[in-house]
Amino acid sequence: MTAEALALIVFLPLLAACAAVAFPGRWLGWIVRIGLLPLPVLMLAPTLAVLDQNVIHLALAGHASPLGIEWRLDPLSLLMLWLNVGITVLISLHAGVSFRPDSDRGQRFWPLWLILFASMNALVLSADLFNLYVTLELVTLAAIGLIAVESKPAALRAGMRYLLLALMASLLYLLGVGLIYGQTGTLDLYLIAEQIEPGWLPVTAMALMIVGLLIKSAVFPLHAWLPAAHGNAPGPVSAILSAMVVKVSIYMIWRLWFWGAAGWDLATAANLMGLLGAAAIVYGSLAALVQDRLKMIVAYSTVAQLGYLMLLFPLASTLAFQAASYHLLSHGLAKAAMFLAAANILSSVGTDRLQRLAGVDQRRPLDVFALALGGVSILGLPPSGGFVAKWLFLEAAWHQQAWGWLVLVAAGGLLAAAYLFRVLGVICLHPRKRLNRRQHREIPNLASVAALILAVSAIAAGFFSAPVLSLISAGLPPGVTP
Amino acid sequence: MIGFLLDGLIAAGLVGLAYQAVTSRSLFRGIIHFVVFGLTMALAWARVGAPDLAMAEAAIGAGLTGALMLVAYRRLVEDRRDAPVDPGPAKSRLALPIAIGSGLLVGVIGLSALFSDVEPGQAGQAVLADLQQVDLGNPITGVLLLYRGIDTLLEVAVLLTAFLAARALAGSESGTGSPTTQGPETPMVGALLAVVIPLTVLVSVHLLRAGSYEPGGAFQAGAVLAGAGVLLILSGRIAAAETAGLLVRMGLLAGLVSFILIGLTPLLHGGPLLALPGLWAVYFIETAMMVSIAITLVLLFAGGGGLKRGKHG
Repeated sequence: MTAEALALIVFLPLLAACAAVAFPGRWLGWIVRIGLLPLPVLMLAPTLAVLDQNVIHLALAGHASPLGIEWRLDPLSLLMLWLNVGITVLISLHAGVSFRPDSDRGQRFWPLWLILFASMNALVLSADLFNLYVTLELVTLAAIGLIAVESKPAALRAGMRYLLLALMASLLYLLGVGLIYGQTGTLDLYLIAEQIEPGWLPVTAMALMIVGLLIKSAVFPLHAWLPAAHGNAPGPVSAILSAMVVKVSIYMIWRLWFWGAAGWDLATAANLMGLLGAAAIVYGSLAALVQDRLKMIVAYSTVAQLGYLMLLFPLASTLAFQAASYHLLSHGLAKAAMFLAAANILSSVGTDRLQRLAGVDQRRPLDVFALALGGVSILGLPPSGGFVAKWLFLEAAWHQQAWGWLVLVAAGGLLAAAYLFRVLGVICLHPRKRLNRRQHREIPNLASVAALILAVSAIAAGFFSAPVLSLISAGLPPGVTP
Repeated sequence: MIGFLLDGLIAAGLVGLAYQAVTSRSLFRGIIHFVVFGLTMALAWARVGAPDLAMAEAAIGAGLTGALMLVAYRRLVEDRRDAPVDPGPAKSRLALPIAIGSGLLVGVIGLSALFSDVEPGQAGQAVLADLQQVDLGNPITGVLLLYRGIDTLLEVAVLLTAFLAARALAGSESGTGSPTTQGPETPMVGALLAVVIPLTVLVSVHLLRAGSYEPGGAFQAGAVLAGAGVLLILSGRIAAAETAGLLVRMGLLAGLVSFILIGLTPLLHGGPLLALPGLWAVYFIETAMMVSIAITLVLLFAGGGGLKRGKHG
């Protein structure tokens, strides 16, 4: 049952993408629904199996590693899978009206969207370094196609820059994989972990892979491509890019670091990674503070929030794992909501320059509400999911008496408050400003509702954290003490 | 001794060609150097005993990538009145640091590889041991379809995605001329095509069939077949169209869809996912992949969403 469900979770969207290319006419809407909507139901079987057995191995084609490729579903990958399915389906509600399947734009959008979805599912399942490379390539290419799908010059330029950097990142990762294979003769992450000892070559290989993945996940100072790409892409695309696409490569770094190099002494490197995260938080927040376009503010906020995911490396405890995983979840929901809301405001007003948005809360109350709710989770106010994550980070730092990281998490919340209140202040605190009514374009309510559902989920994540946190603590990497 | 000299020549040639490709003053010369670099790389692969890779490198790395670059050059530079004649590569202050960094990296990897003992590859030995039970002489084909099928499946999806992304981009550039030669139809072109096209198809089918017991396979065969398509485009027999007809769409998707569907069937009777039900499935999927690879590459070269009969067709 689990094997069948997992197979369909990857291949149903992929088949739907093929069908969407083959029959781009009036059936497209139904093809998309068939490719997306059964997925939450299909997720039930693997979820029950993981709750029961904790880790599920699936040898593809019946060949176990090292001969074949194995899928491995553990609590962390289950969380990623649920996150991807949930967020993609919710954003698809928005995309259903902003890229209508019966339109020309829709025909270009949906195949790439379905491929992106399927490839991220395949990525989080895979336990094979080369297979991870192929899935990551697929994720990147589909994402670049989606950035450029509206053919706006700014988006094309950003997409091209992303493409060039992502290709270099892929090559670095692939070089590392090649070196590892040369030494161990296997590509399975868990077999490699048993065989590999830190030495010149393994360390070089691991460093190459991690630097490649850091470029793909836009961690400071390798973030230069992200704001332009995320800020100029169409709304649903920005949302999935910030919510999932950059996260899957961070997920891969976690896998390599905590599972692949489990026995290594990485204290110095871990502190370095943490410092990169700290720099990302400070730089991203300050840059968000001086942007004058709403989507660019949200994009720089992503640069900052990705920094928290790097704090896992120096802290590396059960609490830190729960904190980072929960941050991944709540940031995904909140950021998707904020990008969708920003896109709605942009397409309604025609611009997202901040000084032109004064009073937009009267015209688009739902979107501004979604933006604010997402912001509440981002800056970590209770009772949001973001609060749970930041609280756990503080607790983790407290327990290890790592005062530097503690101050950083607290200061990061304040900086986030600064740039988010600046946005809300400009939008809401102009009682006498009236927007020119003629400029407004009506957009379907469903677009705002999708943003609102995501924002409310980000807040609600604060109330339902217990089962997720206990799930995460059931899937800790070897060596991390509870 | 001769072998050592040859290797040194190839290695020096690769470095020199790569340098020329990056630094040459005109873009056109850079492209030509890149193509020659690809061919030399194919020689290098042949020298290290990887004929499959050598063929793929020659057909895709040098041949079709070169054709794609030249057609891009033509559209970017020659067909644009407002563009400078040939801009050449942009100067970058990062060039020197990157070169030094890459050099150091190569040095570290080379030195540490020299001083570490290489273990025999577990995965490779497992493949050779397991292939004894299957009537498939070429271990590469075995790895691509039997043991690591999902990699191959996803790579075919990568090709499809590349086409879809290119189509998304091409949406903005309506009305670009096709790469068809503008000259009048000459009898020699027809005669040439009458000889070359059947031969190319023959070679690609041979490569496909040979893939089961000696070097070859769907990727090489597809690339060679795409070469025939490129020739037909250049001679005006076929041209880019706005949208793809049913036949082109089917060909485009044949490889991926048949791989997924055949890969899913074992689940119906409790077998493992992607366990191909026999050698016929290997041949079927390889053939479908060859068609898909060829059509995708031709579509990328044509720069449109589909194909139609050209003005000399």
